[in-house]
Amino acid sequence: MDFSLLDQHIINGLVLGVIYAMVAVGFTLFFGVLNVIKFSHGDVLMAGSFAALIASLFLSQLGEFPTWLNLCISLLFAISIMATLGTLIAQHLVLPLRGAPPLNTLLITLMLGLAIREAVRLFYPNGSNPKPFPRLLPENSWIIGTMEIRQDTAIIIVGGLLAILILNLAIRKTRLGLSIRAVAQDPETARLMGINFKRIVLGTFALGSGLAALAGVANGLYYHEIIFDRGLFLGVIGFSAAVVGGLGSLLGAIIGGFLFAFLQTIGAIWFSVPAYKDVFAFVVIIMIMAWRPTGLLSEINSDRV
Amino acid sequence: MESMLETQNIYAGYDEADVLTGVSLKVQPGKITCLLGANGAGKSTLIRVLLGLTPARKGQVFYQTKEITNIETHNIVRQGVSTIPEGRKVFPKLTVRENLLIGAILEKSKAKAQDRMEGVLSIFPQLANRGQQLAGTMSGGEQAMLSIGRGLMGAPKLLIIDEPSLGLSPLFVKENFKVIQKIKERGITVLLVEQNVKQTLEISDYGYVLAQGQVVAHGTSSMLKSNSQMQAAYFGQGE
Ligand SMILES: Nc1ncnc2c1ncn2[C@@H]1O[C@H](COP(=O)(O)OP(=O)(O)OP(=O)(O)O)[C@@H](O)[C@H]1O
Ligand SMILES: [Mg+2]
Repeated sequence: MDFSLLDQHIINGLVLGVIYAMVAVGFTLFFGVLNVIKFSHGDVLMAGSFAALIASLFLSQLGEFPTWLNLCISLLFAISIMATLGTLIAQHLVLPLRGAPPLNTLLITLMLGLAIREAVRLFYPNGSNPKPFPRLLPENSWIIGTMEIRQDTAIIIVGGLLAILILNLAIRKTRLGLSIRAVAQDPETARLMGINFKRIVLGTFALGSGLAALAGVANGLYYHEIIFDRGLFLGVIGFSAAVVGGLGSLLGAIIGGFLFAFLQTIGAIWFSVPAYKDVFAFVVIIMIMAWRPTGLLSEINSDRV
Repeated sequence: MESMLETQNIYAGYDEADVLTGVSLKVQPGKITCLLGANGAGKSTLIRVLLGLTPARKGQVFYQTKEITNIETHNIVRQGVSTIPEGRKVFPKLTVRENLLIGAILEKSKAKAQDRMEGVLSIFPQLANRGQQLAGTMSGGEQAMLSIGRGLMGAPKLLIIDEPSLGLSPLFVKENFKVIQKIKERGITVLLVEQNVKQTLEISDYGYVLAQGQVVAHGTSSMLKSNSQMQAAYFGQGE
């Protein structure tokens, strides 16, 4: 076992946890309002990071922008493009399949994910290779006690946590959030309240996809590079996190995301071979699923299935 | 007088067969109109058609003389129609307070929603100190109150009520009928589906009897009340 870098492991785990949670929240929201699994979610994330990359490079071409401005514009660009993409996917692929077996939606979005992935590989110059992601965050370090934390890392953690917190508050406290929860529990009665079902579904997909774009940018900023097939891996992790937390539960998705990162961190400390950490994490997740098949905080109650 | 709601020759159903075969009725403003009929007669199906939840295959629905046949449910609700659906349908994982607030989801002003909530709580004081309880954990009677309260939160012109007292104790049932009377006194038009023929005719102004998807009798409530032949034929409880 290797404890020497314990604090770095913890910080790394926190970053991953934030990113996974952001992805998992999307899965859980989509499942909540429409009972569907949208498998292209991870590729939307990846496309979001490429959108931000393109925006950022474009801005650098235009002239000297302060890096924070470059970051904000690229981030907003990525979020709005992906929110739009998510809405379009919901409108043209997911909603028309309502009434068809859920498996069909899963299959179609799986293929859509593949299409997004291959499109990025094909159309982005030299798209098969990893692309350097611009370093848009300050890279100085803070020393707290014996712990050293880089500012970019800290900003990613705090920013991600804030995004999750704000989304949570929005779902719990606003009229939009109330409508989303009502649609998730009983779409027909929600419509009887005057809620525009379709608009709420599209809004939810926009919200989840925007959050995926944010996760994609966070991923790029953390690793300083992005690659076209990264979304597949993050999608599987986010999906597992959402399922282990209990599909449909917001808090469950967040807990699931951090749990997965925590398991990877334990795995990384335990085993000297890095690849084992993912195997370890997935094995534990599978065991948890065998123990609690509907997830830790199940929202799926008997009258909904 | 213009009717509040009117259907003309409605045909509707679920799979192949039609459940409703040519239903026409009128709901007069400011009155309680009741819809009676045995189990499976098609009462709830008609309600679903009115609200755009089940499509009409034939026929038309008018609300305040405007045609609303098969338009989207939320666009019907927006025109001042609230529903207390069959089976109450409270949102089990929302709190009592949230269930009430969602009844007023179309009202953008928080102050107005709050006013309405106070009005509802004065009708159902039992709900007042339950604001944070999850609706799914309430008793059937309490859920019935909540469902009615939620309907009132929309400040409707027309309130459609589908079997509010199903499965309730006689005391609750009596209480429910009193509340419906109060609702009418506030100037709200009511379309009431009920199984309790006698009590329903007691508070309603006009009634329709539905059997096998067709209107088989209609008239003022006092007229229907005295028609023991009809009652014996359709409810097996004529006096
Ligand atoms: N979702 C559905 N799918 C298929 N058939 C249905 C559906 N809902 C109702 N039906 C059928 O339509 C017919 C009329 O049902 P409906 O619910 O309108 O009756 P009702 O008059 O409201 O009865 P009750 O007093 O028991 O509520 C019944 O034969 C019922 O089996
Ligand atoms: Mg019924």
